[in-house]
Amino acid sequence: MNVYFLGILFSIVFVAAVIDLMRRRLLLEQYSLFWLGMGLVIFLLSVFPGVLNSVAVVLGIFYAPSLLFFVGFLFMLLTMLQLTVTLSRLTTRSVRLVQEVAILRAELESGESKKTSERGGDTNDETVQDA
Amino acid sequence: MRDALVIIPALNEEKTVGGVIRSILDAAQEVDIVVVSDGSTDRTAEVAAAAGAYVISLTVNLGIGGAVQTGYRYAKQKGYLYAVQIDADGQHDPADLPRLLAEARMGDADMILGSRYVQKTAYRSSASRRMGMVLLAAFVHMAVGYAIKDTTSGYRVVNRRTIELFSSQYPMDYPEVEVLVLLHRYKMRVREVAVEMKERQAGVSSITMIKSMYYMFKVSLAILLEVLRGRPLKGEGRL
Repeated sequence: MNVYFLGILFSIVFVAAVIDLMRRRLLLEQYSLFWLGMGLVIFLLSVFPGVLNSVAVVLGIFYAPSLLFFVGFLFMLLTMLQLTVTLSRLTTRSVRLVQEVAILRAELESGESKKTSERGGDTNDETVQDA
Repeated sequence: MRDALVIIPALNEEKTVGGVIRSILDAAQEVDIVVVSDGSTDRTAEVAAAAGAYVISLTVNLGIGGAVQTGYRYAKQKGYLYAVQIDADGQHDPADLPRLLAEARMGDADMILGSRYVQKTAYRSSASRRMGMVLLAAFVHMAVGYAIKDTTSGYRVVNRRTIELFSSQYPMDYPEVEVLVLLHRYKMRVREVAVEMKERQAGVSSITMIKSMYYMFKVSLAILLEVLRGRPLKGEGRL
């Protein structure tokens, strides 16, 4: 068993794992496309290892696997940057949600005490009309 | 409903918040008060409600910026024309409030800053802290093009336009200084008015000596970023 066969095996298992995550709705389609593409790249490089060598020669890299490390590293760096951007957006959104929920709950609690004393009939009338 | 809302962000300030609310109500009758309890684990919310404030309790701790912004969002939704920020620890004297509000109603500024340094007041602080403040003031001066002496003061009155801006954009941590540059970017005007500041009545400052280096770095970076942003950007602060 050589490294190329291992690469093919890994990429197949990887894609299967991604599809399984999508199936369970644990991974959104918008993010899964990226990972499926990644699996495809690993698969192709394992099936056609010559491609890596040719590209390395063109770029003037003597040791072809170092090209793999270089590209892989840059790729991971960009992916992580993208992830923290996404994380920042999620943080902003959850902050906004906490704020709005707190405001609404305060209104609800102050409104309930008011409703019973001041305008108790209002909501009931509307329900009767609807029915 | 009155046209001015006092916003008091509070994190576990049960000892002081009640007194602050009562002295505000004594000093200024024409204001509503909202206390934003930032995930307090003590009786801050109950004490504040009992003292006559409207209380908004955040389920999780958002930090000072997120808590204050909650107050501004409430002010926006309820249509208040002016919003006042006062600390819950009692270092801001509510006796100054009617005067600050009157200054805001003059309409020449989008934010009135209660300042310790405009005239001689009784406030004193440590040498290193003063040096940090002078440095920040110099940075802000460079960024906005005019002098603001007390950049870290948390005692502020803003108008409707600023309420709307803060509802969508407000820095999450250490907001005081950054906000000044933010306002400048939106061509909004800050004016300082002298106030008295007292020593904290209880609790400790959120800025300890160990954190002060980080504070200086973070705030300086925030100022630099605001300058780099230049004019209001497309899609800025999109959710």
